Amino acid sequence: MTRRIRVAILTSFGAVAFFAGRTGSLNARESVLAKTVWDSVYSVAQAARGETAYAKGCARCHGAALTGGDQSPPLAGSAFLGNWNGQSLVDLQQRIKTTMPSDSIGIYDAKFVTDVVAFMLKANGFPAGDAELSNDDATLKDIAIRASRPAPPN
Amino acid sequence: MLACLSPRRSIALLALVLVGSSATAQSGNPKTAAPASNGFTTARGEWPSYTGDARGSRYSPLDQISGANFSSLEVAWRFKTDSLGPRPEFKLESTPLMVGGTIYTTGGTGRAVVALDAVTGALKWTHKEDEGPRGAAAPRQLSGRGLAYWTDGREERILYVTPGYRLLALDAKTGNLVSSFGTSGAVDLKTDIDQEILPDLTTGEIGYQGAPVVGRDVVVIGAAFREGTAPKSFKNNKGYIRGFDVRTGKRLWTFHTIPKKGEPGYETWLNGSAEPAGNTGVWSQVTIDEDLGLVYLPVESPTGDYYGGHRPGNDLYGESLVCLDLKTGAKKWHYQLVHHPIWDFDIPAAPVLGDITVDGRAIKAVAVPTKQGILYVFDRVTGKPVWPIEEKPVEKGEVPGEWYSPTQPMPTKPAAYAKNGTSIDDLIDFTPELRAQAVQVASRYKLGPIFTPPVVSKADGPLATLARGPTNGGSNWPGGAFDPETHTFYVASSNAAAVVLGLVQPSKDRSDMDWVAGSAAPAGRGGGLGGGGLAVQGLSIFKPPYGTITAINLDKGEIAWQVPHGETPDAVRNNEALKGLNIPRTGQAGFTVGTLVTKTLVIAGDPQVTTLTTRPRGAMLRAYDKKSGAEVGSVLLPAPISASPMTYSVGGKQYIIVAVSGGPYSGEFVALRLPSGGPQ
Repeated sequence: MTRRIRVAILTSFGAVAFFAGRTGSLNARESVLAKTVWDSVYSVAQAARGETAYAKGCARCHGAALTGGDQSPPLAGSAFLGNWNGQSLVDLQQRIKTTMPSDSIGIYDAKFVTDVVAFMLKANGFPAGDAELSNDDATLKDIAIRASRPAPPN
Repeated sequence: MLACLSPRRSIALLALVLVGSSATAQSGNPKTAAPASNGFTTARGEWPSYTGDARGSRYSPLDQISGANFSSLEVAWRFKTDSLGPRPEFKLESTPLMVGGTIYTTGGTGRAVVALDAVTGALKWTHKEDEGPRGAAAPRQLSGRGLAYWTDGREERILYVTPGYRLLALDAKTGNLVSSFGTSGAVDLKTDIDQEILPDLTTGEIGYQGAPVVGRDVVVIGAAFREGTAPKSFKNNKGYIRGFDVRTGKRLWTFHTIPKKGEPGYETWLNGSAEPAGNTGVWSQVTIDEDLGLVYLPVESPTGDYYGGHRPGNDLYGESLVCLDLKTGAKKWHYQLVHHPIWDFDIPAAPVLGDITVDGRAIKAVAVPTKQGILYVFDRVTGKPVWPIEEKPVEKGEVPGEWYSPTQPMPTKPAAYAKNGTSIDDLIDFTPELRAQAVQVASRYKLGPIFTPPVVSKADGPLATLARGPTNGGSNWPGGAFDPETHTFYVASSNAAAVVLGLVQPSKDRSDMDWVAGSAAPAGRGGGLGGGGLAVQGLSIFKPPYGTITAINLDKGEIAWQVPHGETPDAVRNNEALKGLNIPRTGQAGFTVGTLVTKTLVIAGDPQVTTLTTRPRGAMLRAYDKKSGAEVGSVLLPAPISASPMTYSVGGKQYIIVAVSGGPYSGEFVALRLPSGGPQ
């Protein structure tokens, strides 16, 4: 992209705040987040609970293998990871909590949703650890979704 | 330049009066009835129907925005839809209309309608409905795909379907309900439908999120249901399709997509299974040929996307293209694309009407893009295939209780434009290690060509049939675009939407179906390979391109060009396992990519966001030279492009509107135009 176009778009959106900290790479934003999803942020037992919850509450539309439906986006793979890459887990948790299930919004409590998120992390190949993922917003806010494993620190 | 011809509203209204008078005087004469948009057409820089016209074209002859200046597009205005409903929406799929200098669109989680100034985006009026529990229980929620415009030269109306399945007519000038339409402006679509909607009008499953289409004063409404891979019952409401008088809201006709006893086609549901069977609606877009007075229905699957043992037989008119008389609803012809549907192919997109010339013979054609990546092309008058469609033997499955069609229709031309089967050769081979891992993942599944049937899921294998095409592969609801000048059809498609067709027996409290979609083994089956689902190390197990745009010459029935569409996803570009390899642009998987064709360009947006070192995080709206497929420009948008773009011209300026939403970004319409002082 030429400088002119980039300036034009940035100016047009008037969204200095929108793009703030995001130019160049994800690292600028992630650098302020304490962890990423590669840091074993959920437990195997929690993901298993989440899988049961998913089968009951989500699979009908998003598919048993998280591949999505013809009205519902996939929840695993590059299409999912691309759109959530660089976002925090609280964004994902809130998105699910405030919009799902689409015909009975609000029936899933924070624990249910967080367990489902743990299962989604497992299904997307992120490693499990000893501790459960907390459903506390402040904790989730500090965990970044990242499609690829971060390079080890120099 | 065409953009300069864009009518000022006063001129347009004058034309309306003239054309409208003529239409009124001639109403009832099908040869000369005026179109629903009554003089407002894409040829004049308007966008008066969801697909530009009622024919599914998505074509505009505007040429101010070209390959030479596309990348310099700027934001003219933005309209955020958050406050149109009780909460923000993250799945904005509407394509607005533009008529007489006003934008009309649905938006927001409650499916409100707004009118905006086409130049400034300023809000003119809003119409919201609070449908309470009925709206909350709707099978098709959110803002939907759009609405319809109608005028007789005096009145102007906006028609749309609410989540709770009511057809509303609004005064286009004020947004107020038109009291003479239906009951105080509304028709309850759950009534007068030749069946009792069960269990009750509040929770009875039926709805529609598509845009109504109007022709010759008839508004045609589709029917849709919940996702059907694991339905609660093999019995459901039926997706009958109806035509209504656009002036009064009176039902004019009903077409039984599942024939009633005594009607032709009933015999294709063995053992009387037409009685309990449901669904079989049209959740996608209907198209109309106003000159011929014909309507084209892309009918979806019957109840049970992957299992049809409760409905043995071919199941007409499931997954059929059906042509009806617009005024009476009488069937003219039909063609079933898939017999006894058990792959959730549906027919997901608007049939596109195009006039073509094949071997010197002029043909009024209808072309249907599909999830299976096959474009089916028919003479739209007779229903005869333009190129032969052969009944090919297909594999018979072994799911207990299932009924299998021994053959399926396979067009001889055009060639498939998307991958619609799976084989070992389709698996990635970037490196020997990745290849081996992909083969290991695939080994748990049954692979095979299109129409390989679903299997009973077994923990020790196969877990499922691994398919591409069913449910969300190939092309989906955004459909394609047809260029009437070059007779070329443009369509986006996905190759990487891997779907598993595995069946399990549900518990009785979950469903009375014998089999529903499910897995005998836990999901999250990355197998310790560092990638979940059907991926290895974060990569799809299938080779790119993941998504393409294809140009198909309909005079020849041949693919003119095909290019990967969409930036290489972050998970691929930054993948450690691919370090040092030169991976050409892969395109992106996604089923929200719609094409718009103009005088010189094909325009489509990326369905995923990416982050490059050279630009901020976002998704690109791209322009391709429509003759060669070469990318000639792009602009960055803040979120995935989540609906088909549209274009219009007002005051000598051409605009493009796209809807963006997805991930954590809530719905927004973004209108683009060239900078002031730029090329005119």
